[in-house]
Amino acid sequence: MSSAATALKAVGVSLERGGKTVVSGVDLELGSGEIVALLGPNGAGKSTLLRGLAGLDPLADGRVAARGRVTAALQVPALARRSVLANVEAALSWSGSERGGRRERALDALKLLDATHLAERRALDLSGGEARRVHLARALAVDPDVLLLDEPFAGLDAATRGDLLYDVASAIRHPSRATLVVAHDRAEAWALADRVVVMIGGRLAASGTPREVLETPSTPDVARFVGFAGEIELREEILLLRPADVREDARGDLAGTVLRKIPVEEGFRVDVAVDRGKVVMHLPPPGPEIGSRIRLRTVGGVRFGKPVKPSRV
Amino acid sequence: MEFLLDGIREGWHLLLHPDAELKSAFDVTMRVAFFSTLFSLAAGLPLGLLLGLRSFRGRSAGLSLANAGLGLPPVVVGLIVAILLFRMGPFGGLNLLYTVNGIIVAQTLLALPIVVAFTAAAVQAVPTALLDQASALGASRPRVAMLALREARVGIFAAVIAALGSALSEVGAVVLVGGNIQQQTETLASAVLVKVSAGEYGPALAYGFILLGLILVLAAVLTLLQQRGAASLGWRAS
Repeated sequence: MSSAATALKAVGVSLERGGKTVVSGVDLELGSGEIVALLGPNGAGKSTLLRGLAGLDPLADGRVAARGRVTAALQVPALARRSVLANVEAALSWSGSERGGRRERALDALKLLDATHLAERRALDLSGGEARRVHLARALAVDPDVLLLDEPFAGLDAATRGDLLYDVASAIRHPSRATLVVAHDRAEAWALADRVVVMIGGRLAASGTPREVLETPSTPDVARFVGFAGEIELREEILLLRPADVREDARGDLAGTVLRKIPVEEGFRVDVAVDRGKVVMHLPPPGPEIGSRIRLRTVGGVRFGKPVKPSRV
Repeated sequence: MEFLLDGIREGWHLLLHPDAELKSAFDVTMRVAFFSTLFSLAAGLPLGLLLGLRSFRGRSAGLSLANAGLGLPPVVVGLIVAILLFRMGPFGGLNLLYTVNGIIVAQTLLALPIVVAFTAAAVQAVPTALLDQASALGASRPRVAMLALREARVGIFAAVIAALGSALSEVGAVVLVGGNIQQQTETLASAVLVKVSAGEYGPALAYGFILLGLILVLAAVLTLLQQRGAASLGWRAS
């Protein structure tokens, strides 16, 4: 461990699945009191890395050192066929907690996740959102020094996710606990984390505050992942653009043809083919016709030279 | 029909006024059933857990062997055990041939694959995600195994019922290893065989009905316990 505040340190961690390397040479440090979001596209190796950090799967290479108890809440909220309270108490028993105070600790953890009213219910009768709450309460009950959460909001509808996100954001914050949250949704990461780590193709590709990663993505892949969906090839650079970086403007210097028009909450997401690329923008109703020509201007974006190096426009 | 009624009448009379032979056969049957089931569970549950939960070279072969063991011919097992226990055999020094303990050994070998195969199948049906989560929360391997057994307890009870049923009704191995010595190694099932061979159909029917009654009562008690377990696990509609 490199410093007094470091709760978990992974050096050169590689993991294999079915004989294939899915996580390669990952260095990661979590500080006490810190909440880190691990983001990445499907198949990036996020869950595999989490299992490796939790000690559930053997490392193919590298090492992990942790200070204190490491606990993980895996992606599937698997609960035993018993009451909710008994599930949380079982977790306390497995973690070596003394029998005497288990009930109080279990109830305290359920309270943290606003799930006290579920205590006597049978775990298998819970809804998806309720099961997620109990699942997280169970991990918090053991009071770990390092808490690893794998997509804690997976499979929930937007309203349930919103409620749970709010409760989890306050429940997992602890001055002496390091938390790593694997997230698929960028909005969850922004809401929960002090720091964001982006994983692409089994490797860590970026690390920083949510704003840093969003404003100055380190590579084109990271930029595309964090929402820079438009791309224009310039002479010696590529320009990556978020929808907010593109405006419709009759006097704009770019002209393009509308390729797709998809209804979204506040209008349309419109894909426009431009010379040497494509941009994505949000437009209010009624939006342009597919196949029509429109003029645009850019108001932001990031450029990557060759070799790739980001710079704000 | 008269013949059957005579058997029932004689069985009823024997139940109300059991003779020394019936008492001994009942006692031997219960001892063999209890201890062979106990020993097969003691050895079979860990083996079933190992085959059901762990991944290792030879696991498939082990599972195939356990499944094949479900069809073990009792008379062949009895023959092999008897040969091993012959005075000049490798285990002759144990003096187990023609003893109740010898029968328990043979019956344990017959019940072992039943327990292993049923246990492995039952724990394989427990969601891997639950067992992984228990490990992630700090459960040691024995605690994870206990969780798997608890979650699979309906299937485990089925293993107990099958092992016990096999022990109560087995004849071939009992006769070969125990010698069917009256009031020493004779069980209810082997007594039926002997009485039929001797043409004593009435007593044979009487012993048969007593054995059937015993199996029904034990199976009913175990099934009741099994279904209570199922209800507590939430396997019935609520």
